[in-house]
Amino acid sequence: MTGRLALNGFVALVAAFLVLPILAIVPAAFSAQSFIRLPPETWSLRWWGEFFNDASWRLTLLTSLKIAAFTTLISVLAGTAAALGIARSGPRSRALLTGLFLGPVVTPVIVLAVAMYSMARATGLVGTVTALVIAHTMLALPFVVLNVGVSLDGLDRRLLLAAAGLGAGSFHIFRTVTLPLIVPGVVGGAVFAFVTSFDEVVLSIFLAGPTVKTLPVRIWEEIRLEYTPVVAVAATLMLALALAAAGASRLLSRR
Amino acid sequence: MNPLAFRLGTVALLASGTLIVVLTFLMPLARLIGLSFSAPSGPFAAYAQLFSDDIYARVFVNTFGIATVVTAVALVIAFPLAFALTRLSRTWRGVVFACVLLPLWISVLVRTFSWMLLLERNGPINRFLVASGLTDQPLALLFNHSAVLIGMVHVLLPYAVLPIYAALVRIDPGLLRASEGLGASAVTTFLRVLFPLSLRGVATAATFTFLLALGFFITPALLGGASSLTLSMLIDGFVSDRLDWPLAAAASVVLLAAALAVVAITARFISIGAIAKVHP
Repeated sequence: MTGRLALNGFVALVAAFLVLPILAIVPAAFSAQSFIRLPPETWSLRWWGEFFNDASWRLTLLTSLKIAAFTTLISVLAGTAAALGIARSGPRSRALLTGLFLGPVVTPVIVLAVAMYSMARATGLVGTVTALVIAHTMLALPFVVLNVGVSLDGLDRRLLLAAAGLGAGSFHIFRTVTLPLIVPGVVGGAVFAFVTSFDEVVLSIFLAGPTVKTLPVRIWEEIRLEYTPVVAVAATLMLALALAAAGASRLLSRR
Repeated sequence: MNPLAFRLGTVALLASGTLIVVLTFLMPLARLIGLSFSAPSGPFAAYAQLFSDDIYARVFVNTFGIATVVTAVALVIAFPLAFALTRLSRTWRGVVFACVLLPLWISVLVRTFSWMLLLERNGPINRFLVASGLTDQPLALLFNHSAVLIGMVHVLLPYAVLPIYAALVRIDPGLLRASEGLGASAVTTFLRVLFPLSLRGVATAATFTFLLALGFFITPALLGGASSLTLSMLIDGFVSDRLDWPLAAAASVVLLAAALAVVAITARFISIGAIAKVHP
């Protein structure tokens, strides 16, 4: 009995350790002072006004959203097609293709960043939206392929055979049977691709430029120097978007 | 449908994704490997420089040391947590699972920034320590090894919990009851039944955590001090400060080789696919 109690206490402690520290940025964003002190002595929305009245901060937020949207679109289209292609392949090419698509996941991020940066320098793409979309697509694609692949594996093959037996053509089968059944996987992959891009820091630090900067890159630059609570506002916005995405993905998996 | 048309359809479906992987992953990587042999004083000069310098040797040792300690600490916390997860009621399991999965959605940068605010000299932890009389003066909690360890364990713990949990739920509870019924103590049951049966999950968790820890950049760069230089930070320095591409490329190849070696050694015990699947 005491063992059980100790174990539950331990679980509560670890759960608190996992979640609570992340929330430290939230009160920091509502400080009235010009420096961060936790908890703030006086509270205000001053730094939220500061953030949204500053054109450069607004621009980084818009750039982040734009890059995440492009990344999601490309990686969902290419990743869904690739997952369908992998499902149609024989066992040997299946293993090879899975390995190929998982490559970026097992490669250390700094290696990807330096490789991509050297390529972007050679092609004159450093500091462009294109470079960031390309880099984020490379990172997001494996997760779309995996997510859609999981829904394809769960697909009842007899439904496809039944549709074919009833005389439906292969594109018709795809549109009316396969696609509706894998939609949760596709949307789940899309949510994850969006967050992967929106959260990405390391590759973005190398590829961003003075005019094209994402929110995490700006936060990174600020916290390495002296920072004000406006950085906490930016971080809180990132936290809010991540939580919204996590909630959306949970709702999707329930259905 | 005739087999040729089916094949062509498969190729067409795979074309765009494969093109993206080749152009954005394989080609830049090949270019980087090429760059590592492009030092002006000879093809292997960058590697020779990397392996002959004591400072770089210390960075290697440091990187592997941090990754090893972080992995060990994460496993020691993750195993009992994963075990408790298998015993909790449905509702509580959902709550604890949410606590494990939620951090994975949040940018490492945001999570690391939080630790900076908490561990600061005037931060809440130091103020609590001073106010409660545990210390006379605020402690230097930030910009050292322990800050890096705390931050990295915090980020990597979920990756250790999930594979161990996946292994533990598959164990037949009857086996544990049988062991108890036969008079084995809790420790014996753990050592001779539970732990051996979950070894695959533990190996996956260890590989996964170690692999990610080896390449960590943001957390050690922000929480660490001058002595906690890791391979990732060294590579960043070669590129950003010294503009020494052959050296940066050679160090990247060494890091990549280390990561691949970890995967190759453990591949027989784990499923690589599972590595990517633990993402939320």
